[in-house]
Amino acid sequence: MNTEPDKNQAPGSGLITNHQPLATIFFRSFFIQAGWNYERLQNLGFAFAIMPALRKIYAPGEKLGAAVLRHLGLFNTQPYMAGFVIGNIVRMEEELALMPAGGAGSGTAAFEKKMLEVKAALSSGFAAIGDRIFWGRLKPLTTQLCIVIWALAGFYGWLFTNTVPGVPLPVLFGGPLAGIALYGGGAVYLRWQGLKKGYACGGTASCGLDAVNWPALIRLLSVAGFALSLLIVAGAFGMLIEQNWNGAHKGGLILRAALALGVMVLQRVVRKSGRSIFFAMGLILAASAVVVIFERSGLHL
Amino acid sequence: MILKALISSLFAGLLELDNVQAGQFLVSRPAFAGPLLGWLNGCPVEGARMGILIELIYLDFIPVGGVVPPNGLVAAAAAVLALAWAGLPESTAFFFGIMAGFLYGKVEYRLRVSRSSWIKGIETDARNGAILLERNLAGSLLAESAVSGLYIFLFSGLAAVLAAPLLRAEPGTLFRVSDLAYSLMPWLGLSGLYFRFRTQVYKNK
Repeated sequence: MNTEPDKNQAPGSGLITNHQPLATIFFRSFFIQAGWNYERLQNLGFAFAIMPALRKIYAPGEKLGAAVLRHLGLFNTQPYMAGFVIGNIVRMEEELALMPAGGAGSGTAAFEKKMLEVKAALSSGFAAIGDRIFWGRLKPLTTQLCIVIWALAGFYGWLFTNTVPGVPLPVLFGGPLAGIALYGGGAVYLRWQGLKKGYACGGTASCGLDAVNWPALIRLLSVAGFALSLLIVAGAFGMLIEQNWNGAHKGGLILRAALALGVMVLQRVVRKSGRSIFFAMGLILAASAVVVIFERSGLHL
Repeated sequence: MILKALISSLFAGLLELDNVQAGQFLVSRPAFAGPLLGWLNGCPVEGARMGILIELIYLDFIPVGGVVPPNGLVAAAAAVLALAWAGLPESTAFFFGIMAGFLYGKVEYRLRVSRSSWIKGIETDARNGAILLERNLAGSLLAESAVSGLYIFLFSGLAAVLAAPLLRAEPGTLFRVSDLAYSLMPWLGLSGLYFRFRTQVYKNK
């Protein structure tokens, strides 16, 4: 439908009354990172996502080309939060199309400038929020959920690497799939709500930033993650004790528990010193080599 | 087995799209890809274990901005194939996978750099009224999937080539080293998980 919007139509009413383009934009927003590049980051994905709206707003030709070029500039945000920015910018494009044309210094030029400023402000704001929520908290929470589900189903094989227990496939897949459902469901919901919210309040640089009490949500996820971490670590040590408790010889148990604790301390020290976890892994491999060489040469630590 | 490994690699290449480029529903997470590819190759429990351990270790890296973290999906797929196809012991296959995921970060970086050169052409097209974003992004998805799939296949093939002489020779020492180090990996991962959240909760204290 490459038709100019009705000039008598209220600004911003072109798409919201017709959900089809909004649904297409929503679908396309899942590919926001498909063309990620170091020059303009997510610009290709952003332009791709809003194309159905631009094609509806502008007839093919100069104006459509100018609109696409406008959105090929640098863009980067947290992918799940992109809906807020996309909805906002679609609304602003609609409003821009309804403004009387003018040259440099005109109302349209100023509005175009404002649109790009709003886009930049929102993208960095939502990137900071989204990174904290999704990468910093929800993603590790799905790992914890997987471990907890496996533990509840009696699968501890990931903790004791020298065992190959028989585990039913539903248990094996249930752990990671629960996290995928929770995380994916939340992400899809936020993408759609963000798009709708962004479209509804389009034109303001704070649009959507106050839609949720983000700091409280972030704090809640941190506390939940920490509580689960404590539970998992305590449970892991409990399992280690149970597996090595044979009543007569406590030496093996003490050695294994000390090794586990030592590795945890090592990880912390290495990370505190600003080195990667791979450095800790390298140290563990080196220490293992030393132990094995001692064993093979008949010496015992 | 080669055909099965190739199919598994290309399937992993498809899953890899979820990692960054399409969807990001977490179906590319190692904890899921590990048992899935393991199941397809006859080692679901080992796949699940290597997958969750890779996930725990790689949680240390956060993909913010232009950071290209080590690739967990590639690591899990390479580890599973190193075990099932190359016949390496699980512990050695795990470390082999970790290395594959780490090195794939460099490949991913090159792919991203190569896409930068598209922009001028796309802008010129748009000025001339030809908007071909769909074609460009489809090409990008196809390239990423094919490159990651082939990378996994070639890396696992390398494991198969290296494994044969290793397994024929006296492998006791080498595999004993990786067994011992592997048995400590759950604690390394758990520590990362614990301190990640502890730092968030007590960051001002």
